[in-house]
Amino acid sequence: MNILQRVRKGDDGVLVFGNHPAVVQSILDFDYLSGKKEPSVVGIIAGNRSAQKFFFGKSEILVPCFKSVADIPKHLRPRVQWMLNLQSGRRAYESTVAFFEAFPQALGGHIFAENMPEMQATELIARFGRKHLIAGPSGVGILVPGHLKLGAIGGVDMHQIEAGKLSTAGSVAVVSTSGGMTNELIRAVAAAEKRVSFSVAIGGDRFPVTSLTDVLKLAQNDEATKAIVYFGELGGSDEYEIVEMLKTRTLTKPVLCYIAGIIDEAFDEHMQFGHAKALVARKDESARAKREALREAGALAPETFPEFLREMARLPSAPVRLPAAKRSRVAQAGDRVVDIMSLTNRQKSILSTREIVDLDAVPQFVRGGKLAKQKDNGFAAAALSALLGSEVSPVTAAFVENIFELLIDHGGHVSGAVNTMVTARAGRDMVSSLAAGLLTVGPRFGGAVNAAAEQWLDGVAQDADAADFVEARTKKGALLAGIGHRKYRVGLGDPRVAALSGFAKLLKKHPHYDFARDVEKVTTRKSGSLILNVDGVMAALLLDILAEKEGYSAAQLQKLTEAEFFNALFIIPRTVGFIAHFIEQKQNDEGLFRLPDELLFERKKGPKKGE
Amino acid sequence: MARVKISEYRAKKILLGEEYKGVQLRSNNKMVIPKGKWVAKVDQGVKKRMKQGLVVVGKVGADILKAIRSWEKKGFSQFLLEPLVPHEAGEEQYFSMERVREGIRFLHTREGGIDIDAHPEKVHTYVYTAAKDIADISKRSGLPKEFLTTAIHVFEKNFFGFLEINPLVVQGENIFLLDAAVLVDSAGEFFVRDSWSEDDVVQGRAKHAAETRVEELARTTPASFKLTVLNPDGALFFLLSGGGGSIVIADEAQLEGAGKLIANYGEYSGGPTREETYLYAKEVITLMLASRAKKKALIIAGGVANFTDVRSTFLGIIDALTEVAPALRKAGVKVFVRRGGPNETAGLALMREFLEREELLGSVHGSDDIITSAVGDAIAAAPV
Repeated sequence: MNILQRVRKGDDGVLVFGNHPAVVQSILDFDYLSGKKEPSVVGIIAGNRSAQKFFFGKSEILVPCFKSVADIPKHLRPRVQWMLNLQSGRRAYESTVAFFEAFPQALGGHIFAENMPEMQATELIARFGRKHLIAGPSGVGILVPGHLKLGAIGGVDMHQIEAGKLSTAGSVAVVSTSGGMTNELIRAVAAAEKRVSFSVAIGGDRFPVTSLTDVLKLAQNDEATKAIVYFGELGGSDEYEIVEMLKTRTLTKPVLCYIAGIIDEAFDEHMQFGHAKALVARKDESARAKREALREAGALAPETFPEFLREMARLPSAPVRLPAAKRSRVAQAGDRVVDIMSLTNRQKSILSTREIVDLDAVPQFVRGGKLAKQKDNGFAAAALSALLGSEVSPVTAAFVENIFELLIDHGGHVSGAVNTMVTARAGRDMVSSLAAGLLTVGPRFGGAVNAAAEQWLDGVAQDADAADFVEARTKKGALLAGIGHRKYRVGLGDPRVAALSGFAKLLKKHPHYDFARDVEKVTTRKSGSLILNVDGVMAALLLDILAEKEGYSAAQLQKLTEAEFFNALFIIPRTVGFIAHFIEQKQNDEGLFRLPDELLFERKKGPKKGE
Repeated sequence: MARVKISEYRAKKILLGEEYKGVQLRSNNKMVIPKGKWVAKVDQGVKKRMKQGLVVVGKVGADILKAIRSWEKKGFSQFLLEPLVPHEAGEEQYFSMERVREGIRFLHTREGGIDIDAHPEKVHTYVYTAAKDIADISKRSGLPKEFLTTAIHVFEKNFFGFLEINPLVVQGENIFLLDAAVLVDSAGEFFVRDSWSEDDVVQGRAKHAAETRVEELARTTPASFKLTVLNPDGALFFLLSGGGGSIVIADEAQLEGAGKLIANYGEYSGGPTREETYLYAKEVITLMLASRAKKKALIIAGGVANFTDVRSTFLGIIDALTEVAPALRKAGVKVFVRRGGPNETAGLALMREFLEREELLGSVHGSDDIITSAVGDAIAAAPV
């Protein structure tokens, strides 16, 4: 099967390099308007983000982003067949090499950059040019109507996809050195009531990876293609490749060419035109010489562009083929019906894919006039399923229930409670007072759970020796999260830590918990108060529980710490505690709080000058 | 991007390093001619310097300064002094290297001083693809292996696209480069170290101030801007878009017999912003107002863009036209438009409305009309 046949069979997965949202969106619009069920864009290589939002039809989708080719997960890899490289000329070479090294079986790609050094382009030709179809450097990419849009080719707004009939497969191959003229010719083919079989913008650079000859061979061997239209310019000698193929009869399909650059004759000296190659260096590189050579070899090469268009209308073409089921009265010519109006005015939303509460499953607490038996730890289970996006096992729910109950309140002395109470007494409302309390949560108060989770994950991932780990941290001047207590110490254990530790017995393995305990052994040798505290044990055991009971991988746990998930386990119950303190203050109604004089240390003022 | 020529001084400095004894002189710096006899020449990429009288051989200080002053009057500003290498004509050879698809192509003649275009039978061609080819090329050409190895190393390390040494003087193992021309790959500028830079690029002709400003604009954006002034007093001014489409449109003018009326060639592409397009359009429009032609037309045309936004680029052009609309009206300028692409309908409507209001309207065509519509209308409106 050749490359075009494979594309038409569905090998259309694209990996995008670089950031060009309009181009990516146009590919997704093309996919949708071509009737695909799945978008062809598999992922985007762009740093600093985990996903980017686009529309597929009317609905928004997330396209995953990766830092490098190595980060693409296994399950996505088999889909990747094409590279769309939208990076600058300074970076495109390296990423192209990385792509084809990682995906040697891929069909090809497109390099958009116009300023890739010649030496890098010839290197790519030597390494990948034989096996893959690679459009560029420069140009606008590859189009197989109805199946693949690799690049800006054919336009980036959906009116253009409609006007160029990009969703309907036809029989005229469009080949061009110029990106802009590729689109002009695609439109001209549609206007001539024909459709495109495939199109490649070879690019105006001096050394396109896939050469004109390679593309013409593809057209010659493609059953769907009945005729070829070609746009070329003055400069370079590519057109002599066509001449050679026509002469040797390796190309037998009708070829219609427009070779631009007659204007060069108006000037005293040869001029450098827009594309790198567009400069006449030898006599036979002029537009006129090339036109004549093509005509002599049997190609059509009209003198003016209007004549060229008239010839285009006369080219042989096959009737448009589409499965009968997809025809409709509107599309008598066999065009796919594309409803672009429905896609206009699409509104971007704040991304939310998560259904927090299942509206179809309203909990029923009373059945038949009686209190019904409820699930154990129902609130914790429902909260977790909202936070994690999936149902959790009974052990996980029980552990979190245990944490919730433990952490509701820790008395009125702690700073968050103090701030809540002070705000309440200043006459503020519940939400303001609660916010004052919550805004206190941070690295020194309540916010250490997440830090502890990061730390235990790190230690286990490195397979670190606890003593070395502690040494390395303290050397850097970093504090150990989840270690140390003001009151409890060795010999006077924290009963809450003991209670939670019981969960370790419900697990087959608990590497994070073990590591935390090993660290505790090291730190308590320094001071008896440096014991594993509630934050530390919560974080360690929850990591182990999520790994064993919910099947989380290390990478997924890492993502949870990056989203600060573990701090939620403190904030949720403590919100209850803060509200309790607020209500109490409202009921006591003691008036504005002022710090008693003896509690405020005032620096003695020095004697004033002159006294 | 493209291959551009660098000065002979820089080319030889890269090729020969410390050994090179040439001296570069620039008009805006103080000129000191060192003692002794020198070959002096204009070093701005000009072809056939000997014929044009832009070289003097074996002269001393005062005579050289006199020659330089006369060259400055012709508009040149960059010169080169080199020691004289006495040699026999029989020792001269032609040698060139060019990057091609397969690697590097060498052209070589054992006879020097001949026009290689006129005597293709005397030119030997060798293609280098990998290090293993050097021995064979050396054997067949008679050029020392060491010389070839160094030449290839320098060629690749410095992102050369083309190197011509004519004549190359071979005296046994000693090789002299009497005249060297180098085209570098401008896309390599980011990658080279201690080599050439933008500063070393020469034009072969004096540049118009508008061209310089457009080059500066192009350097600061990923979009593409090009401008060449062909005839400052021309009648047809082009504000074209797209590397290929712009040539098709200019071709039409030439085919219609209006080639000599063309004032400029240029194009913008690659999705420039409104502001960038404004700056570019302003250069073309200023040129147009300065032209002494009686009847002038502005042709804003291009193919059906893939991703350049028609609306925002047209807004930029309208910004530039707005500034001088009364002057354009007074000069009787008409504007002819053909364009397609993203936001085509909105862009064309804005342009039509503006041109009508300002009484500048020639015609406005969209992607349903042929790409040459605007230039055709403009020529029809101003008969040649």
